[in-house]
Order: sequence, then structure tokens, then C-alpha cells
Amino acid sequence: MKGRLCFSGVRKVYRWRGSRVRNESVKGAVLGSWWRRRTVKHEAHVALDGVDLEIVPGESVALIGPNGSGKSTMLKLAGGILKPTEGDVDVGGRVTALIELGAGFHPEITGRENVLINGMLLGLDRKEVESRLPEILDFAGIGDFIDQPVKTYSSGMYVRLGFAVAVAVEPDVLLIDEVLSVGDEAFTRRCLDRLARMRQAGVTMVLVSHDLDLVEAFADRAVYLRAGRIRAEGDVGKVIARYRADVAGRTTQPRKDSGSDVRVIEEGRRWGCGEVEIRSVELVSEVGSMRLIPTGTPCALRIRTRADREIDNFVIGVAWHRADGTLVAGHNTDLDGLVPRRLTGESEIRCAYDALDLTPGDYVVDVAVHTKDGKAYDYWCKALAVKVTAGAEWPGVWNPPRQWEWDDGVFD
Amino acid sequence: MTLVRLLWRQRALVAVLVRRELNARYRASVLGFMWSLLNPLLLLFVYAVVFTYIFNPRFPGGEPYPLFLFSGLLPWLFFSGTVLDASVTLIDNGPLLAKVMCPPEIFPAVTVVSHFIHHLLALPVLFAALVVAWLAGWHPFPTTIWLLPLALVPWLLISGGAALGISALSVKFRDLRDLVGHLLNLLFFSSPIIYSLDGLDVPPWLERVLRLNPLGSLVELFRDIAFTGKVPEPRLWFVAMTVGVAGWVLGAIVFGRFRETLVESV
Repeated sequence: MKGRLCFSGVRKVYRWRGSRVRNESVKGAVLGSWWRRRTVKHEAHVALDGVDLEIVPGESVALIGPNGSGKSTMLKLAGGILKPTEGDVDVGGRVTALIELGAGFHPEITGRENVLINGMLLGLDRKEVESRLPEILDFAGIGDFIDQPVKTYSSGMYVRLGFAVAVAVEPDVLLIDEVLSVGDEAFTRRCLDRLARMRQAGVTMVLVSHDLDLVEAFADRAVYLRAGRIRAEGDVGKVIARYRADVAGRTTQPRKDSGSDVRVIEEGRRWGCGEVEIRSVELVSEVGSMRLIPTGTPCALRIRTRADREIDNFVIGVAWHRADGTLVAGHNTDLDGLVPRRLTGESEIRCAYDALDLTPGDYVVDVAVHTKDGKAYDYWCKALAVKVTAGAEWPGVWNPPRQWEWDDGVFD
Repeated sequence: MTLVRLLWRQRALVAVLVRRELNARYRASVLGFMWSLLNPLLLLFVYAVVFTYIFNPRFPGGEPYPLFLFSGLLPWLFFSGTVLDASVTLIDNGPLLAKVMCPPEIFPAVTVVSHFIHHLLALPVLFAALVVAWLAGWHPFPTTIWLLPLALVPWLLISGGAALGISALSVKFRDLRDLVGHLLNLLFFSSPIIYSLDGLDVPPWLERVLRLNPLGSLVELFRDIAFTGKVPEPRLWFVAMTVGVAGWVLGAIVFGRFRETLVESV
């Protein structure tokens, strides 16, 4: 199936012959073979040890873990760059790896020719590359430099062109290895925006990153690797917490899952009597839950609640803030004129937005269920963090859909 | 055989990479592609002067010597250039192998094809020299020259095999790169390029050793057709073709053995 990625029982062992020095000489191979056979065992490094992972089409999965834990090896296996020592890696459809942007550009020839070659290396044929050329040039934004040898490019231009080619391939599976940390901020934002759009289009993504905020914003699911094994897998927040805890050298207390213990106030972030509990808050678009969302996307906040007994006096409120604390918007069911009837058992409430017309940046959403006179059942600050992306940056918080009009001759 | 199929599937990519190779080589040089023609021409000129006026070796059937030498040297230059480049091609393209998924066999293929194109561009120089020698009455024109495409087949096969084998081996054993130059030197002097096996005045054991050199048959085949002007004996055809096929198969086997682990070593 296109966009599916499946690791079953994958083991990857890197071997090098010889003891301390890697054996790279003919002499060593000829003279050393009989000698070594009886003295030194083959040294091996087990990069992955029995990894099982299934990624369904359209899913975004982040691989996290310390250096040397096998994350990049997994990506390279998924990309077919490496072969597993044992087990199977099954990938559906076209895979593109964003491992090193612009890898393989030849410095002496022009950007245009390099785009052609890189595109073909990534699996397009000549015509496909040519038809996508305008789009690639547009994204890279390097203007007339496209017909200059690549050696004259700045490193930023180089990376932009590399990214533009790689995403133009329209893969079914996109593998991303820390590439978003290169380039300036504006570029990173543009990349994120592009990736978010691809995600919406249903591209499966596997991301390796040490930037846990990015992981949190980007992934549906996280996989925590250490020493070649999967240590934790599942909900991004929980897996990151586990990873952070491990890094800090302790293990997390097994927390009681939900239920009535939400009554306990979460240090300055969450409080309430607990008669109604907010089970989850998600931002959903057509394609599902998102933390990274292109500006202008139609979406909805999905709030799931649970009430142990029937509640008839309640208001559900939402507040959007920028990461710096600026209040962007606040609305609740009471102000919007909804009359509460009853809240009982599990319920789902959605607040739909025609278009999320926010400028790019980080936003947090507070969600609360309280009585009409303000007594909190569950008041949850920063219940959700989302990153809004766009191809450009504008000051302010509102990014209205707009149209400029002018008298003849004012603009081209 | 699977290797051939893989390469055929990648032919468009190989073609583009060959273009890149050629473009990059001649970029910023004033004469550009003319160099492919000029290089052999200058070479021929130097040989003509040196081997006519400074010293003039004589072999039966080796007159005029500069032309004799040139007809042996051209295919050799193709072969040795290919092998030398092949020993670094995978390492030079390491970033592509490791960061972009691409089949490793395309790189030796690109090396072979781009050197072959250079070789083809040098052939008109040989042809022109033969015409000049014929008009001047120094040497009868070899009417067998139309067989030349056939003589190129074993050269292409053995160069391809060597490129595959050497490219993979030099990734695994890095000092092969230094060794290759010396091995080529040895092979050069043991091949009948600057001399002819027929007119040799050496101890019989040495002649026997020299005749064992598999490349010798390829040189003789080429020279019979492009210089002497006789249709090579069937035996020579057979030996040369066998050497070519064996070279290809050997190279392909070596390459196939290392193919999967190349990326890890690059």
C-alpha cells in the first residue's frame, strides 16, 4: 500500500574487520585474513536490535532518542540506502529522504542541471523534472542564480534548492533527518509550512529530530529509541516525557491514567473540582489531528469531556494565546449564545473555524469547562500547543485573506 | 545479467550524469569539447616528432612507428583512463550514495561511458592520420577499418568489468587507489603497445609471459584492424572476445559481492 512503512524484526549490524583500525588496505586483507581469523573476532556494532514498527499511510511519526540510538539508521533503512542485516523493511510507494539537502549537487554545473540530476536521482524522469521546474524555482527563490554554477551559491541558496527539489518529487513517504535545523529562520518556517501542507495531502512522514518542540508540533506519534531498541512508542507527549525523564536519569512514576485524579491541581496549569473532566483537546482538520497547521486552513478544536454525573450548568470556553502570552482570541459557549442542556458521560464538542487566519508562529490554547458563574470544573491552561506555518512572515497575529486593488499604473 | 538490467533501467540517469561529467570537465575552458579532439592530436604530434627524429624503433610491420604506437595507445588510454577514474568514482560520489538513494552501479557506468565518448572523439584523429600517411605513401590505408566497431566490443566489455570491480574494491581497500596506477603501468609495458610481439628479441620465457597477458589480444585485434589492415584470425577474435566477456563477468561478480555494503564503507 502506498505510503505504508513497516519494520518487522529489523536488526542492523555494522561490521568492520580488524581490531582498532578499520581494515582498509590490501595488505591487511591479504596478510591479515588468516592471522585475524584466529586472533581477533570481527567487531560489530549493533545499531538496531529487533525493531518492529508499523506506520500507516498519512501518519507522521517522530523518532527521538540520544545520539547513536539508531534513529538515522532506521531512516536509511526506510530509504533503502542501507539493507537490514535481519528482518524486513517494507515501504509502499515513492520514498524521498531529506537527509542532507543538496547532497550530490555538483559544484561546477548550473543549478538547473543539478536540479535535473537530483530530481532523476530521486526517481523522477526527465519530463517530470522539467514540468516541476517552475515550482522548484519558485520555492527555492534563487532567481537568476539558477543558471550559474552551484559553487557560486551561498549555503542558504544551496539548501533551499536542495529542499525544493526533494519535496517536488511528491513522495508517498518523506524521511526527514534534522534538516530543518539548517538555514535561517525564515527558511525553516517555509519548510515547515511546506511539510505541513504535504502532511495534509496525506504524505507519510518520518522525522528524526532532537528538537522536541518541533517533534511535539509535528508528529502524531513518537517512537523513542535507545541503543537500537524501541523503548517507548505512542502519544507524543508521553513518549517525550519518558525520554526527558530518562535523559534526566530517572524513570517516570507510573501515573494513574485519567479518572478522578484530575481533581489534583496541576501546578498552576490546571485546576478544577473534577466533576467534568477534559479528556483531550485536539485541533483537527480534514485529515485528522494536527499540531502544525498552515495558515488559513479550515479546522476545528475538538474537546472531549467526561462527566461522572449529569451536569446542566456549564460553559465551555476557549482562549488562544501567542507563545509570548498575547491573548489572540477568547470565546465560550455562553457568549456565543448556546444554552446548556446536559453533559453526561463522554461527550465531544467541536468549535469549528472556517479558516485559521493567524500569522505564523506558536500558539497555545486554554480550554475550560466551568459553571455560568465561573466555578471551574476543569480549567486547563495550555491544553494544546499548535504551530501555525506560512510561506512568509507578517507582523501581528491576524493574517486576513486579502486582495489588493489599485488604480491603473500604481503597480505592475 | 541482473546488473545489465539494472543499468538499462537507469539509462536516462546515466546519460544525464555523463553529460554532467563532460560539462563539468570542460566548463570554463575556452576550447571546451575541442579538447577531446586536441588531446590525441597533440599526443600524436609529440610521438611523431620524438619517434621519428630522436629515436626510431623498428619492428617488422611497425612502420611508420608513430602511427603504429598511436593505434595501440588509443584503446589503452580508454581502458586505463576508465580504470583510474573508476577507482575514485564511488568515493567521490559518496554523498550521493549515502544521502540520496541511488543505485551504486551507475557511477562506474558513467565513468565507462564518458571515457568511451572521449575515445570515440579521438578516433577521427587516428582516421585522419591514416589518411595522411596513405596520401604521403608512408603506409597503405587499412581497408579493414570498418571492422573497428567490432574491435571496440571487447575493449568496452573489459573496461566495464574493470570499472565495476575496481570501483567496488577501492571502496573496501582504500590503498588500491595508489596501487592502481602502478598496476596499470605494469600492464602497459607488458602489453604490445609500444612494441609488437612478432618482432621481439627477448628470451623465450619472457615472450611466453608476455603472451599470457590477456590484454595483448585486444591490442592486437585493434591494431590489425586500424593499422595493419588485415582481418584478424578467428583465433584472435575468439581470444579477445573471451577476455572481454570474462573481464566483464569477473568485474560484475566482484561488484555484486560488495554492492550491498558499499554505502557503509564509503
